[in-house]
Amino acid sequence: MILRRAALALCGLLLALPAAAQEATLRARMNADIRSTDPGTNRDANTDTVVLHMVEGLVAFREDTSIGPLLAERVDTSEDGLTYTFTLREGVRFHNGAVLTSADVKFAWDRYLRRETNWRCLPEFDGRGATRVAAIETPDPRTVVFRIERPSALFLTNMARPDCGGSGIYHRDSLNADGSWRAPIGTGPFRMGEWRRNQFIELTRFPGYAALPGQPDGHTGNKTALVDRVRWIIIPDSAAAKAALLSGAIDIDHDIASQDVQEMRARSDIRLAPVQSMGMAGLLFQTNDPLLRDVRIRRAIALSLDAPELVRAVSDGLVTYNPSVIPSASPFHGAVQREGYTRDIPEAQRLLRQAGYRGQTIRMLATRRYNAILDMAVLIQAQAAEAGITLEFEVIDWATQLDRYTRGDYAMMPFLYSARLDPSLSYEMVSGPKASQPRKVWDNPEVEALLRESMVTRDTGRRQAIFDQLHRRMLADVPMVVLYNDAAVGAYRTNVQGYRAWSTGQPRYWGVRIN
Amino acid sequence: MIGYAARRLVAAIPTLLLVAASVFLLMRLIPGDPAQLMLGDAATPEEVEALRRSMGLGEALPLQFAHWAGAALTGDLGRSITNGLPVLPLILERFGVTALIVLVAVGLAVLIAVPLGMLAAWKQNRPADLAVVGFATLMLSIPSFWLGLILLLVFGVWLRWLPVVGFVPFSEDIGAALAYVVLPITTLVLIEIGALTRMARAATIDVLRLDYISHARAKGLSEFTVLRRHALPNAFAPTLTLIGLVLGNLLGGIAVIETVFTLPGLGRLLVEAIFQRDYPVVQGVMLFVAAIYVAVNLFVDLAYPVFDPRVTAE
Repeated sequence: MILRRAALALCGLLLALPAAAQEATLRARMNADIRSTDPGTNRDANTDTVVLHMVEGLVAFREDTSIGPLLAERVDTSEDGLTYTFTLREGVRFHNGAVLTSADVKFAWDRYLRRETNWRCLPEFDGRGATRVAAIETPDPRTVVFRIERPSALFLTNMARPDCGGSGIYHRDSLNADGSWRAPIGTGPFRMGEWRRNQFIELTRFPGYAALPGQPDGHTGNKTALVDRVRWIIIPDSAAAKAALLSGAIDIDHDIASQDVQEMRARSDIRLAPVQSMGMAGLLFQTNDPLLRDVRIRRAIALSLDAPELVRAVSDGLVTYNPSVIPSASPFHGAVQREGYTRDIPEAQRLLRQAGYRGQTIRMLATRRYNAILDMAVLIQAQAAEAGITLEFEVIDWATQLDRYTRGDYAMMPFLYSARLDPSLSYEMVSGPKASQPRKVWDNPEVEALLRESMVTRDTGRRQAIFDQLHRRMLADVPMVVLYNDAAVGAYRTNVQGYRAWSTGQPRYWGVRIN
Repeated sequence: MIGYAARRLVAAIPTLLLVAASVFLLMRLIPGDPAQLMLGDAATPEEVEALRRSMGLGEALPLQFAHWAGAALTGDLGRSITNGLPVLPLILERFGVTALIVLVAVGLAVLIAVPLGMLAAWKQNRPADLAVVGFATLMLSIPSFWLGLILLLVFGVWLRWLPVVGFVPFSEDIGAALAYVVLPITTLVLIEIGALTRMARAATIDVLRLDYISHARAKGLSEFTVLRRHALPNAFAPTLTLIGLVLGNLLGGIAVIETVFTLPGLGRLLVEAIFQRDYPVVQGVMLFVAAIYVAVNLFVDLAYPVFDPRVTAE
C-alpha cells in the first residue's frame, strides 16, 4: 500500500516536472517603480512600458513610427478628414474572456474624455490641442465612428502615443463600482500578475491573445507572448543592475549605462541591442536673456561648438550629430535635416565683436541626474572658451532644472527631451509663445503658423516641405542647438532570443523567448 | 523611571512639531513641482496647474500645513502624491525592512567591535593594537556603496553564492530571506565596526588607567576577569551613547545600502520621494525618523543606569 502511494506520488511528480520546467520567466530591469496601471493618467515612461504590455489601442506605432491598425482591422477616413471609422478585428478577447465590441471602445474613450480621469492626452482631443472629438458612435458591435471638429494630421498619432497609454481599450471591470481604477483588463499579450511595490511587477501570459499575423512591428504586428511571465525587477542603481545582469539575476536591461557598453561588448554571455532613440539632446538658449536675446551671440556659441566631436565624446561614439529636432529615425529626416552648424571660431569671434560681447559671463544650468547633461555642459564650456565665450555652469537636481525649464528661468542649459513620434510634435515641444508658455524656446509667430499647418494637412509631401522650411528657420534663429538623439543600449543574456531595441525607447517583451 | 520617561516624551513634542514645520516649509522652498515632474517636459502650464489642484497643492501653505498636521495628530499622514498609497502603512512596511537590517547589523557590530576595542586597549601600542586600529581605520574610511558593490561583485557575480538583487520577506521564505540580507548586513557590520571599535578602545584605555583596575589586579584577579567584570561595565557606557547615535542614524534609513542592494527600505523611500517631490511621503518619513531618534535616545538614556550605577534615571 505504502509502495503504491509512493509510486503514485512519484508519477505525479514526474508529470508535474515538465510543466514546471516549461514555466519561463523573463526578468527585466526597471530603474524605478511604475506609478499606476491606469493607461496614460498617473504615468511615466516605465508605467507606459508595463501598461502597453496589457492594453492595446485601436491603432499603434509601427517600427518606423508610422501608424498601423491594432485592435482595428481597418481605419477609413472621410474626404473632409472629420470622420474616422474603425472596424474592429474579430475574435479579440479581453483578459476576462469577454469579446471586444464597439461598446467597450466607447466606454474606455468616454472615460478618457472625462476631465476627472486626468488623462494626459485629453487636451489633444477636447479642442485645446489638435482637435476635439465631437461624437463617438457605435453603429454596430464591430464599428466605431469618431467625429472630430477640425481635421488633424495628428489624430491617429495622438491616439497611438505611448504616453497616452496608447489610448488602450480596457474592459469596464477594470474599474471599481465607484468608477475608480482597479486593474487593467485589456486585450494585450500579457495580463496583470503581482505588483510588489518598489520590488517587482509581474505580468503573466494571456493564453487567449488574438495576435495579428506576421512579425512584431513596433507596438503592433504579431505580439504573441513567448514567455509565461515577465517580471520587471526594480533596480534603481545602474551598478547594481550591472551586477544583476552579469550574475544572471536578471535576463535583460533595456538601457544600460553608456560607460558599461565596452565591457559588456567584450563578454561572451551578454549581447547588446543598441539603437539611436528618438529622445533629443540639445543646448537651449533663453532668447529673452539680456545677452542671448542677440541672435549673433547665440550664433557665435553655436559656431564655437564642434558638435560632431562633442556628440561622439558624450555618447562614447554610439551616436552621431543630428542638427534637427526631427529624430534621425523618422521617415521625415532627410538631407535638409542633416544640415547643421560647422565649427568656425573666426566667424564666431567676428559675430561676438559685432554684438559688442566683452567676455561677460553667461550662466548655464546642468544636473547630475543625467550624465549626458553634465557632460554636455563641461564640453560646451570648454569649446566655447576657445572662441572667447565665458560660460559658467551651476549643477542642480533634476526637479529644479525641470522647474526652471518650465518657468524659462535660465540663460542656457543642455537639456534632454523625451521622444516625440511625429515631426509636428517634435517642433511643437520647442516652439510656441513664451508669454503663455515660458518653457518654449522658439517664439516666432511665422513658425507657429507653419507648425499649425503641418498639424492639419495630411499631404505627406506638403508636410515634408514645411519641416524642411522649419529646420532652416531654426538654424537661422538659433533658439537652440540640437545635438543628437540619445543612444539606448540594451544588454541581455545569451539565453534571451528575439529581443529588439526600438528607437522610441520602449522595450517590448512579446516575441521574446528565453532558453 | 516612568516619570522620567513621560517627561522626556512630553519634551519631545515641540521637537517633533519643529521637525514637521521645518520639513513642510523646506520642501516647498526648494524648487521643483511634483505635478511638473509627473507630467514631464511636454505639459502645458494649465495641465500642471490642474494636476496641482487635484493633488491638493493649490491651497495656501498655512492651510495645507494645518490640514496635514491636524490629520497627522490622528495618525493619518496623508497619501503619496505619486502612487496614492496611504503614507503611514507605507512607512511602517519600509521601516520593517530597514529595522531588520539595522538591528541585526548593529547587534553583530557591537558583539565584534567591543571585544576588539577592549583587546586593542589591553594590548595598547603592541602589534595586536596596531592591527585592530588599522582595521578599524580602514573600515571607517571605506564608503559603504563601494564596499557593498565589492561584496556584490565577489559573492554575487564571481562566486554566485548569494543573490544580487531583491528582497524576500521572512514571512514568505526564511531561507531565501536570509540569503538576500546577508550581504547588506555584512556591509553594514563592516562599516559600523570602525567607529564602535575605536570608541570601545578609547573608553577602555581610560578605564584601565583608573586606580580600581590596579586594585583589582593587585587582588590577583586574572586579566580576563579584570576586563570583563571591572573594565567592561564602565567602558561600555560611552560606547552605548555612540550605539544610540548610530542606531538613530541608521534606523532613519540606510539609503545607500538599500539602493545598492535594491532593498525596499525607509531610506530609499525617502530619497525617491525627495526626487519626486512627494511632499506627504517626505514629511511623513521625516516625522517618523525624528520620532525614532527621540525613542532611541530615550532608550539609551534609560539603559545607562544598568551599566553605570552612578547615573540615575531620575
